[in-house]
Amino acid sequence: MLNYIWLGLIIVGLVVAVSVDVHEQTTNKYRNGMELEAELQLERPFAEEITSPQDAMLIVASERFNTMYNESVGAEVVLQPAAATLLKDGTGTIILHINDQSPRIWKEMSNAAVTKDKLTGKIVSFTRAEDEKRMKVGIVFEPITFVRIKRVTKAAFDAASTAVTIAFGLIGIMALWLGIMRIADEAGAVKFLARLLRPAMKSLFPDVPSDHPAIGSMIMNISANMLGLSNAATPLGLKAMDELEKLNPRKGVATNAMCTFLAINTAGLTLIPATAIAVRAASGSGNPTIIVGTTIVGGLCSTTVGIISAKLLQRLPIFKRQIEAESTQSEPAEEAKQ
Amino acid sequence: MTGEILKNLVALFSIVAIPALIFVFLVWGIFKRVKVYEVFVEGAKEGFSVAIRIIPYLVAMLVGIAIFRASGAMDYFTIALNPITSLIRFPAEAVPMALMRPLSGSGSLGIMTELMKVYGPDSFIGVLASTIYGSTETTFYVLAVYFGSVNIKKIRHSLPAGLLADVAGILGALFITRLIFS
Repeated sequence: MLNYIWLGLIIVGLVVAVSVDVHEQTTNKYRNGMELEAELQLERPFAEEITSPQDAMLIVASERFNTMYNESVGAEVVLQPAAATLLKDGTGTIILHINDQSPRIWKEMSNAAVTKDKLTGKIVSFTRAEDEKRMKVGIVFEPITFVRIKRVTKAAFDAASTAVTIAFGLIGIMALWLGIMRIADEAGAVKFLARLLRPAMKSLFPDVPSDHPAIGSMIMNISANMLGLSNAATPLGLKAMDELEKLNPRKGVATNAMCTFLAINTAGLTLIPATAIAVRAASGSGNPTIIVGTTIVGGLCSTTVGIISAKLLQRLPIFKRQIEAESTQSEPAEEAKQ
Repeated sequence: MTGEILKNLVALFSIVAIPALIFVFLVWGIFKRVKVYEVFVEGAKEGFSVAIRIIPYLVAMLVGIAIFRASGAMDYFTIALNPITSLIRFPAEAVPMALMRPLSGSGSLGIMTELMKVYGPDSFIGVLASTIYGSTETTFYVLAVYFGSVNIKKIRHSLPAGLLADVAGILGALFITRLIFS
Protein backbone atom coordinates (compact mmCIF):
# COMPACT_ATOMS: atom_id res chain seq x y z
CA MET A 1 0.00 0.00 0.00
CA LEU A 2 2.54 2.51 1.22
CA ASN A 3 4.89 1.48 -1.59
CA TYR A 4 2.49 2.76 -4.24
CA ILE A 5 1.47 5.91 -2.38
CA TRP A 6 5.06 6.86 -1.68
CA LEU A 7 6.18 6.12 -5.21
CA GLY A 8 3.15 8.01 -6.52
CA LEU A 9 3.99 11.14 -4.54
CA ILE A 10 7.56 11.18 -5.81
CA ILE A 11 6.87 10.24 -9.45
CA VAL A 12 3.96 12.67 -9.79
CA GLY A 13 6.08 15.38 -8.17
CA LEU A 14 9.05 14.83 -10.47
CA VAL A 15 6.97 14.52 -13.64
CA VAL A 16 5.05 17.70 -12.88
CA ALA A 17 8.24 19.58 -12.01
CA VAL A 18 10.00 18.53 -15.23
CA SER A 19 7.02 19.23 -17.48
CA VAL A 20 6.39 22.65 -15.96
CA ASP A 21 10.07 23.49 -16.40
CA VAL A 22 10.10 22.35 -20.03
CA HIS A 23 6.95 24.39 -20.68
CA GLU A 24 8.43 27.49 -19.04
CA GLN A 25 11.64 26.98 -20.99
CA THR A 26 9.85 26.83 -24.34
CA THR A 27 7.68 29.86 -23.62
CA ASN A 28 10.69 31.64 -22.03
CA LYS A 29 8.50 32.62 -19.07
CA TYR A 30 11.31 34.48 -17.34
CA ARG A 31 12.34 36.32 -20.52
CA ASN A 32 15.93 35.12 -20.39
CA GLY A 33 18.19 37.27 -22.57
CA MET A 34 15.51 39.91 -23.19
CA GLU A 35 16.12 43.53 -22.37
CA LEU A 36 13.88 45.41 -19.95
CA GLU A 37 13.79 49.19 -20.31
CA ALA A 38 13.52 51.03 -17.02
CA GLU A 39 14.65 54.05 -15.08
CA LEU A 40 16.98 54.22 -12.16
CA GLN A 41 16.62 56.81 -9.39
CA LEU A 42 20.06 57.32 -7.82
CA GLU A 43 20.72 58.71 -4.37
CA ARG A 44 23.46 61.06 -5.53
CA PRO A 45 23.82 62.91 -8.84
CA PHE A 46 25.58 60.82 -11.46
CA ALA A 47 29.05 62.14 -12.28
CA GLU A 48 31.29 59.96 -14.43
CA GLU A 49 30.78 56.44 -13.19
CA ILE A 50 29.73 54.36 -10.17
CA THR A 51 32.21 51.58 -9.51
CA SER A 52 30.99 50.22 -6.18
CA PRO A 53 27.28 49.30 -5.94
CA GLN A 54 25.15 52.25 -4.91
CA ASP A 55 21.59 51.97 -3.56
CA ALA A 56 19.03 53.04 -6.10
CA MET A 57 15.35 52.68 -6.89
CA LEU A 58 14.43 50.85 -10.06
CA ILE A 59 11.33 52.28 -11.70
CA VAL A 60 9.52 50.35 -14.44
CA ALA A 61 6.37 51.61 -16.13
CA SER A 62 3.71 48.99 -15.40
CA GLU A 63 2.61 48.90 -19.01
CA ARG A 64 6.12 47.96 -20.09
CA PHE A 65 6.49 45.48 -17.24
CA ASN A 66 3.18 43.81 -18.10
CA THR A 67 3.95 43.44 -21.80
CA MET A 68 7.39 42.08 -21.02
CA TYR A 69 6.31 39.42 -18.53
CA ASN A 70 2.69 39.00 -19.64
CA GLU A 71 1.63 40.00 -16.13
CA SER A 72 -1.07 42.31 -14.82
CA VAL A 73 0.45 44.69 -12.29
CA GLY A 74 -2.17 47.26 -11.33
CA ALA A 75 -0.17 50.24 -10.08
CA GLU A 76 1.22 52.87 -12.45
CA VAL A 77 4.86 51.95 -11.90
CA VAL A 78 6.80 49.06 -10.39
CA LEU A 79 9.18 50.34 -7.71
CA GLN A 80 11.99 48.03 -6.75
CA PRO A 81 14.88 48.76 -4.35
CA ALA A 82 18.20 47.82 -5.92
CA ALA A 83 21.92 48.47 -5.95
CA ALA A 84 23.71 49.35 -9.17
CA THR A 85 27.07 50.11 -10.70
CA LEU A 86 27.41 52.19 -13.85
CA LEU A 87 30.74 52.08 -15.63
CA LYS A 88 32.48 54.36 -18.13
CA ASP A 89 32.05 51.90 -20.99
CA GLY A 90 28.29 52.35 -20.88
CA THR A 91 27.43 49.13 -19.07
CA GLY A 92 26.89 48.20 -15.47
CA THR A 93 25.42 45.69 -13.03
CA ILE A 94 22.28 45.72 -10.96
CA ILE A 95 21.14 43.70 -7.96
CA LEU A 96 17.45 43.76 -7.06
CA HIS A 97 16.74 43.39 -3.34
CA ILE A 98 13.58 41.32 -3.55
CA ASN A 99 11.09 41.88 -0.72
CA ASP A 100 7.41 41.26 -0.02
CA GLN A 101 6.33 44.16 -2.22
CA SER A 102 8.28 42.94 -5.23
CA PRO A 103 6.33 41.68 -8.26
CA ARG A 104 5.45 38.00 -8.11
CA ILE A 105 7.52 37.02 -11.13
CA TRP A 106 10.68 38.60 -9.73
CA LYS A 107 10.10 36.79 -6.44
CA GLU A 108 9.87 33.51 -8.35
CA MET A 109 13.01 34.37 -10.29
CA SER A 110 14.98 35.30 -7.18
CA ASN A 111 13.99 32.02 -5.53
CA ALA A 112 15.63 30.15 -8.37
CA ALA A 113 18.56 32.57 -8.68
CA VAL A 114 22.05 31.89 -7.37
CA THR A 115 21.56 33.97 -4.23
CA LYS A 116 18.09 33.97 -2.68
CA ASP A 117 16.23 37.30 -2.33
CA LYS A 118 18.64 38.84 -4.83
CA LEU A 119 18.13 39.01 -8.55
CA THR A 120 21.14 40.17 -10.49
CA GLY A 121 21.29 41.60 -13.99
CA LYS A 122 23.52 43.34 -16.46
CA ILE A 123 22.90 46.93 -17.41
CA VAL A 124 23.56 46.82 -21.15
CA SER A 125 23.07 50.52 -21.75
CA PHE A 126 22.34 53.70 -19.86
CA THR A 127 21.70 57.32 -20.66
CA ARG A 128 20.97 60.30 -18.49
CA ALA A 129 17.34 61.26 -18.15
CA GLU A 130 15.97 64.76 -17.55
CA ASP A 131 17.28 64.99 -14.01
CA GLU A 132 20.87 64.15 -13.11
CA LYS A 133 19.93 61.61 -10.43
CA ARG A 134 17.80 59.74 -12.93
CA MET A 135 19.13 57.29 -15.52
CA LYS A 136 17.44 55.42 -18.36
CA VAL A 137 18.70 51.84 -18.31
CA GLY A 138 18.33 48.63 -20.27
CA ILE A 139 18.59 45.52 -18.10
CA VAL A 140 19.13 41.87 -18.99
CA PHE A 141 18.61 39.64 -15.94
CA GLU A 142 20.62 36.54 -15.16
CA PRO A 143 19.15 33.52 -16.96
CA ILE A 144 16.60 31.69 -14.79
CA THR A 145 16.17 28.03 -15.68
CA PHE A 146 14.65 24.85 -14.21
CA VAL A 147 12.85 26.67 -11.41
CA ARG A 148 10.69 23.75 -10.29
CA ILE A 149 13.41 21.12 -10.43
CA LYS A 150 15.66 23.30 -8.30
CA ARG A 151 12.82 23.89 -5.86
CA VAL A 152 12.05 20.16 -5.67
CA THR A 153 15.68 19.26 -5.05
CA LYS A 154 15.98 21.83 -2.29
CA ALA A 155 12.69 20.74 -0.72
CA ALA A 156 13.83 17.11 -0.67
CA PHE A 157 17.06 17.91 1.13
CA ASP A 158 15.32 20.27 3.54
CA ALA A 159 12.71 17.63 4.35
CA ALA A 160 15.40 15.04 5.07
CA SER A 161 17.06 17.27 7.63
CA THR A 162 13.69 18.32 9.07
CA ALA A 163 12.96 14.65 9.70
CA VAL A 164 16.10 14.34 11.78
CA THR A 165 15.35 17.58 13.64
CA ILE A 166 11.90 16.27 14.51
CA ALA A 167 13.25 12.92 15.66
CA PHE A 168 15.97 14.54 17.78
CA GLY A 169 13.45 16.90 19.30
CA LEU A 170 11.48 13.85 20.37
CA ILE A 171 14.33 12.27 22.34
CA GLY A 172 13.89 14.36 25.49
CA ILE A 173 10.11 14.26 25.83
CA MET A 174 10.14 10.60 24.77
CA ALA A 175 12.53 9.82 27.63
CA LEU A 176 10.47 11.84 30.10
CA TRP A 177 7.19 10.16 29.27
CA LEU A 178 8.62 6.67 28.93
CA GLY A 179 10.14 7.11 32.42
CA ILE A 180 6.85 8.32 33.91
CA MET A 181 4.96 5.56 32.12
CA ARG A 182 7.28 2.91 33.51
CA ILE A 183 6.52 4.14 37.04
CA ALA A 184 2.79 4.20 36.27
CA ASP A 185 3.10 0.71 34.85
CA GLU A 186 4.87 -0.76 37.88
CA ALA A 187 2.48 1.00 40.23
CA GLY A 188 -0.46 -0.56 38.39
CA ALA A 189 -1.94 2.78 37.34
CA VAL A 190 -2.03 1.90 33.65
CA LYS A 191 -3.96 -1.29 34.32
CA PHE A 192 -6.34 0.65 36.52
CA LEU A 193 -7.04 3.05 33.69
CA ALA A 194 -7.64 0.17 31.34
CA ARG A 195 -10.12 -1.40 33.73
CA LEU A 196 -12.01 1.90 33.92
CA LEU A 197 -12.88 1.91 30.23
CA ARG A 198 -12.98 -1.85 29.71
CA PRO A 199 -16.33 -2.16 27.86
CA ALA A 200 -15.48 0.51 25.28
CA MET A 201 -11.95 -0.73 24.72
CA LYS A 202 -13.09 -4.36 24.56
CA SER A 203 -15.32 -3.63 21.58
CA LEU A 204 -12.74 -1.41 19.86
CA PHE A 205 -9.80 -3.76 20.38
CA PRO A 206 -11.14 -7.30 20.74
CA ASP A 207 -7.68 -8.80 20.10
CA VAL A 208 -6.04 -7.02 23.03
CA PRO A 209 -6.48 -8.54 26.53
CA SER A 210 -8.40 -6.00 28.59
CA ASP A 211 -5.77 -5.74 31.34
CA HIS A 212 -2.87 -5.37 28.89
CA PRO A 213 -0.71 -2.22 29.35
CA ALA A 214 -1.38 -1.33 25.68
CA ILE A 215 -4.97 -0.44 26.61
CA GLY A 216 -3.89 2.01 29.30
CA SER A 217 -1.35 3.66 27.00
CA MET A 218 -3.87 3.98 24.19
CA ILE A 219 -6.41 5.59 26.54
CA MET A 220 -3.80 8.07 27.70
CA ASN A 221 -2.70 8.88 24.14
CA ILE A 222 -6.27 9.45 22.95
CA SER A 223 -7.03 11.64 25.98
CA ALA A 224 -3.85 13.67 25.47
CA ASN A 225 -4.78 14.17 21.80
CA MET A 226 -8.28 15.29 22.74
CA LEU A 227 -6.86 17.87 25.13
CA GLY A 228 -4.43 19.06 22.46
CA LEU A 229 -1.36 18.03 24.51
CA SER A 230 0.73 17.04 21.53
CA ASN A 231 3.98 16.96 23.54
CA ALA A 232 2.59 14.21 25.70
CA ALA A 233 0.45 12.52 23.06
CA THR A 234 3.22 11.32 20.75
CA PRO A 235 5.37 9.61 23.44
CA LEU A 236 2.27 7.99 24.96
CA GLY A 237 1.13 6.86 21.52
CA LEU A 238 4.52 5.38 20.69
CA LYS A 239 4.45 3.58 24.04
CA ALA A 240 1.05 2.17 23.06
CA MET A 241 2.45 1.02 19.71
CA ASP A 242 5.33 -0.66 21.53
CA GLU A 243 2.89 -2.53 23.75
CA LEU A 244 0.71 -3.51 20.77
CA GLU A 245 3.80 -4.77 18.96
CA LYS A 246 4.42 -7.19 21.87
CA LEU A 247 1.10 -8.84 20.96
CA ASN A 248 1.97 -8.96 17.26
CA PRO A 249 2.74 -12.47 15.99
CA ARG A 250 3.99 -11.21 12.57
CA LYS A 251 6.77 -8.66 12.92
CA GLY A 252 6.71 -5.92 10.33
CA VAL A 253 2.98 -6.29 9.60
CA ALA A 254 0.36 -4.08 11.26
CA THR A 255 -2.26 -5.78 13.44
CA ASN A 256 -5.96 -4.96 13.39
CA ALA A 257 -5.65 -3.30 16.78
CA MET A 258 -2.86 -1.03 15.53
CA CYS A 259 -4.88 0.01 12.49
CA THR A 260 -7.96 0.79 14.60
CA PHE A 261 -5.84 2.70 17.10
CA LEU A 262 -4.23 4.78 14.37
CA ALA A 263 -7.57 5.37 12.66
CA ILE A 264 -8.75 6.98 15.91
CA ASN A 265 -5.46 8.81 16.27
CA THR A 266 -5.29 10.22 12.73
CA ALA A 267 -8.95 11.21 12.92
CA GLY A 268 -7.72 13.58 15.61
CA LEU A 269 -10.72 14.49 17.76
CA THR A 270 -9.70 17.65 19.65
CA LEU A 271 -11.63 19.52 22.32
CA ILE A 272 -9.30 22.55 22.15
CA PRO A 273 -7.84 23.23 18.69
CA ALA A 274 -5.10 25.38 20.24
CA THR A 275 -3.03 26.04 17.08
CA ALA A 276 -5.99 27.08 14.96
CA ILE A 277 -7.29 29.37 17.73
CA ALA A 278 -3.87 30.99 18.09
CA VAL A 279 -3.61 31.66 14.34
CA ARG A 280 -7.13 33.09 14.30
CA ALA A 281 -6.34 35.41 17.20
CA ALA A 282 -3.12 36.48 15.52
CA SER A 283 -4.94 37.33 12.28
CA GLY A 284 -7.28 39.62 14.18
CA SER A 285 -10.37 37.48 14.59
CA GLY A 286 -13.22 38.99 16.59
CA ASN A 287 -14.09 35.56 17.94
CA PRO A 288 -11.13 33.15 17.72
CA THR A 289 -12.75 30.39 19.77
CA ILE A 290 -15.86 30.14 17.59
CA ILE A 291 -14.28 27.10 15.97
CA VAL A 292 -14.22 25.02 19.17
CA GLY A 293 -17.73 23.73 18.51
CA THR A 294 -17.28 23.25 14.78
CA THR A 295 -13.99 21.44 15.32
CA ILE A 296 -15.58 18.99 17.75
CA VAL A 297 -18.30 18.22 15.18
CA GLY A 298 -15.69 17.72 12.45
CA GLY A 299 -13.58 15.56 14.76
CA LEU A 300 -16.56 13.40 15.73
CA CYS A 301 -17.35 12.83 12.03
CA SER A 302 -13.80 11.81 11.21
CA THR A 303 -13.42 9.60 14.30
CA THR A 304 -16.68 7.78 13.68
CA VAL A 305 -15.88 7.16 10.03
CA GLY A 306 -12.28 6.23 10.93
CA ILE A 307 -13.35 3.53 13.38
CA ILE A 308 -16.09 2.16 11.12
CA SER A 309 -13.84 2.04 8.07
CA ALA A 310 -10.99 0.42 10.02
CA LYS A 311 -13.38 -2.26 11.26
CA LEU A 312 -14.87 -2.86 7.81
CA LEU A 313 -11.61 -2.71 5.85
CA GLN A 314 -9.91 -5.28 8.09
CA ARG A 315 -12.36 -7.87 6.74
CA LEU A 316 -11.47 -7.21 3.12
CA PRO A 317 -9.57 -10.16 1.63
CA ILE A 318 -6.57 -8.11 0.49
CA PHE A 319 -5.93 -6.80 4.00
CA LYS A 320 -6.93 -10.03 5.76
CA ARG A 321 -4.60 -12.05 3.56
CA GLN A 322 -1.59 -10.06 4.73
CA ILE A 323 -1.86 -11.28 8.30
CA GLU A 324 -2.88 -14.79 7.32
CA ALA A 325 -0.56 -15.45 4.39
CA GLU A 326 2.59 -14.81 6.36
CA SER A 327 1.59 -17.21 9.13
CA THR A 328 1.00 -20.04 6.63
CA GLN A 329 4.32 -19.23 5.01
CA SER A 330 6.16 -19.49 8.28
CA GLU A 331 4.75 -22.93 9.09
CA PRO A 332 6.58 -24.91 6.39
CA ALA A 333 9.75 -23.11 7.38
CA GLU A 334 9.38 -24.37 10.92
CA GLU A 335 8.68 -27.90 9.72
CA ALA A 336 11.82 -27.77 7.64
CA LYS A 337 13.78 -26.86 10.69
CA GLN A 338 12.50 -29.86 12.58
CA MET B 1 -23.50 30.58 28.91
CA THR B 2 -23.01 26.97 29.92
CA GLY B 3 -21.02 26.54 26.73
CA GLU B 4 -18.64 29.28 27.88
CA ILE B 5 -18.16 27.63 31.29
CA LEU B 6 -17.60 24.25 29.70
CA LYS B 7 -15.03 25.71 27.32
CA ASN B 8 -13.10 27.37 30.15
CA LEU B 9 -13.25 24.18 32.14
CA VAL B 10 -11.72 22.19 29.29
CA ALA B 11 -9.05 24.87 28.79
CA LEU B 12 -8.18 24.77 32.48
CA PHE B 13 -8.08 21.00 32.44
CA SER B 14 -5.67 20.93 29.51
CA ILE B 15 -3.30 23.22 31.41
CA VAL B 16 -3.22 21.24 34.66
CA ALA B 17 -3.52 17.78 33.10
CA ILE B 18 0.19 17.10 32.60
CA PRO B 19 1.52 18.27 35.98
CA ALA B 20 -1.39 16.54 37.70
CA LEU B 21 -0.77 13.32 35.80
CA ILE B 22 2.93 13.25 36.68
CA PHE B 23 2.11 14.00 40.31
CA VAL B 24 -0.55 11.29 40.56
CA PHE B 25 1.69 8.66 38.98
CA LEU B 26 4.62 9.50 41.23
CA VAL B 27 2.50 9.42 44.40
CA TRP B 28 0.83 6.21 43.21
CA GLY B 29 4.28 4.73 42.63
CA ILE B 30 5.56 5.70 46.07
CA PHE B 31 2.38 4.29 47.60
CA LYS B 32 2.99 0.98 45.82
CA ARG B 33 6.65 1.01 46.95
CA VAL B 34 8.05 1.43 43.45
CA LYS B 35 11.67 2.65 43.42
CA VAL B 36 10.60 5.68 41.43
CA TYR B 37 13.96 7.13 40.44
CA GLU B 38 15.48 3.84 39.33
CA VAL B 39 12.36 2.81 37.45
CA PHE B 40 12.09 6.22 35.77
CA VAL B 41 15.65 6.05 34.50
CA GLU B 42 15.14 2.50 33.32
CA GLY B 43 12.09 3.52 31.30
CA ALA B 44 13.60 6.76 30.00
CA LYS B 45 16.52 4.84 28.49
CA GLU B 46 14.28 3.69 25.64
CA GLY B 47 13.53 7.28 24.63
CA PHE B 48 16.68 7.59 22.58
CA SER B 49 16.32 4.37 20.62
CA VAL B 50 12.67 5.03 19.78
CA ALA B 51 13.47 8.50 18.46
CA ILE B 52 16.37 7.17 16.39
CA ARG B 53 14.29 4.27 15.07
CA ILE B 54 11.73 6.57 13.44
CA ILE B 55 14.29 8.60 11.48
CA PRO B 56 14.38 6.49 8.29
CA TYR B 57 10.58 6.27 8.14
CA LEU B 58 10.24 9.99 8.74
CA VAL B 59 12.88 10.86 6.13
CA ALA B 60 11.15 8.70 3.52
CA MET B 61 7.72 10.16 4.23
CA LEU B 62 8.72 13.80 4.55
CA VAL B 63 10.91 13.71 1.43
CA GLY B 64 8.12 12.12 -0.63
CA ILE B 65 5.64 14.74 0.51
CA ALA B 66 8.13 17.57 0.05
CA ILE B 67 8.80 16.59 -3.58
CA PHE B 68 5.08 16.40 -4.26
CA ARG B 69 4.44 19.78 -2.64
CA ALA B 70 7.37 21.65 -4.18
CA SER B 71 6.50 20.46 -7.69
CA GLY B 72 3.18 22.28 -7.56
CA ALA B 73 1.32 19.09 -8.46
CA MET B 74 -1.30 20.10 -5.90
CA ASP B 75 -2.63 22.77 -8.29
CA TYR B 76 -3.49 20.12 -10.87
CA PHE B 77 -5.21 17.95 -8.27
CA THR B 78 -7.25 20.98 -7.23
CA ILE B 79 -8.34 21.43 -10.85
CA ALA B 80 -9.03 17.71 -11.29
CA LEU B 81 -11.23 17.68 -8.19
CA ASN B 82 -13.17 20.72 -9.37
CA PRO B 83 -16.26 18.80 -10.63
CA ILE B 84 -16.64 17.09 -7.25
CA THR B 85 -15.97 20.13 -5.09
CA SER B 86 -18.32 22.36 -7.06
CA LEU B 87 -20.98 19.65 -6.83
CA ILE B 88 -20.90 19.76 -3.01
CA ARG B 89 -20.35 23.56 -3.13
CA PHE B 90 -16.99 23.32 -1.41
CA PRO B 91 -15.30 26.72 -1.86
CA ALA B 92 -12.51 26.40 -4.43
CA GLU B 93 -10.20 28.59 -2.34
CA ALA B 94 -10.20 26.05 0.50
CA VAL B 95 -9.56 22.96 -1.66
CA PRO B 96 -5.73 23.16 -1.32
CA MET B 97 -6.24 23.29 2.46
CA ALA B 98 -8.30 20.11 2.40
CA LEU B 99 -5.78 18.34 0.15
CA MET B 100 -2.78 19.44 2.20
CA ARG B 101 -4.18 18.61 5.65
CA PRO B 102 -3.44 14.84 5.63
CA LEU B 103 -0.05 15.36 3.97
CA SER B 104 1.68 18.08 5.92
CA GLY B 105 1.03 19.85 9.20
CA SER B 106 3.28 22.82 8.48
CA GLY B 107 2.00 23.07 4.91
CA SER B 108 -1.65 23.18 5.94
CA LEU B 109 -0.84 25.63 8.73
CA GLY B 110 0.70 27.90 6.10
CA ILE B 111 -2.33 27.63 3.82
CA MET B 112 -4.71 28.27 6.73
CA THR B 113 -2.78 31.40 7.77
CA GLU B 114 -2.73 32.64 4.18
CA LEU B 115 -6.49 32.07 3.72
CA MET B 116 -7.20 34.02 6.90
CA LYS B 117 -4.96 36.84 5.76
CA VAL B 118 -6.73 37.08 2.41
CA TYR B 119 -10.36 36.39 3.37
CA GLY B 120 -10.34 37.26 7.09
CA PRO B 121 -10.50 34.82 10.00
CA ASP B 122 -14.22 35.33 10.57
CA SER B 123 -15.24 34.85 6.95
CA PHE B 124 -16.84 31.60 5.79
CA ILE B 125 -13.54 30.46 4.26
CA GLY B 126 -11.55 31.48 7.34
CA VAL B 127 -13.80 29.53 9.70
CA LEU B 128 -13.93 26.57 7.33
CA ALA B 129 -10.14 26.44 6.99
CA SER B 130 -9.53 26.58 10.73
CA THR B 131 -12.22 23.98 11.38
CA ILE B 132 -10.63 21.66 8.83
CA TYR B 133 -7.25 22.23 10.45
CA GLY B 134 -8.59 21.28 13.87
CA SER B 135 -10.87 18.46 12.74
CA THR B 136 -8.27 16.03 11.45
CA GLU B 137 -4.66 15.04 11.97
CA THR B 138 -1.68 14.86 9.62
CA THR B 139 -2.42 11.26 8.66
CA PHE B 140 0.76 10.52 6.70
CA TYR B 141 3.03 11.92 9.40
CA VAL B 142 1.29 10.03 12.20
CA LEU B 143 1.42 6.75 10.28
CA ALA B 144 5.13 7.18 9.47
CA VAL B 145 6.08 7.99 13.06
CA TYR B 146 3.88 5.45 14.84
CA PHE B 147 4.55 2.50 12.55
CA GLY B 148 8.18 3.53 12.20
CA SER B 149 8.67 3.34 15.96
CA VAL B 150 7.94 -0.40 15.87
CA ASN B 151 9.56 -1.08 12.49
CA ILE B 152 6.32 -1.86 10.68
CA LYS B 153 6.41 -1.52 6.90
CA LYS B 154 3.20 -3.31 5.90
CA ILE B 155 0.62 -0.89 7.24
CA ARG B 156 -2.43 -2.68 5.73
CA HIS B 157 -5.73 -0.78 5.87
CA SER B 158 -4.59 1.97 8.19
CA LEU B 159 -3.96 4.47 5.39
CA PRO B 160 -7.34 4.09 3.62
CA ALA B 161 -9.09 4.17 7.01
CA GLY B 162 -7.18 7.32 7.97
CA LEU B 163 -7.92 9.02 4.65
CA LEU B 164 -11.62 8.12 4.79
CA ALA B 165 -11.66 9.65 8.26
CA ASP B 166 -10.05 12.79 6.84
CA VAL B 167 -12.66 13.06 4.10
CA ALA B 168 -15.41 12.66 6.70
CA GLY B 169 -13.81 15.30 8.92
CA ILE B 170 -13.56 17.76 6.03
CA LEU B 171 -17.15 17.15 4.94
CA GLY B 172 -18.28 17.47 8.55
CA ALA B 173 -16.41 20.75 8.82
CA LEU B 174 -18.05 22.02 5.62
CA PHE B 175 -21.49 21.01 6.85
CA ILE B 176 -21.21 22.60 10.31
CA THR B 177 -19.56 25.78 9.02
CA ARG B 178 -22.32 26.24 6.47
CA LEU B 179 -24.85 25.67 9.25
CA ILE B 180 -23.54 28.49 11.45
CA PHE B 181 -23.22 30.84 8.48
CA SER B 182 -26.74 30.26 7.18
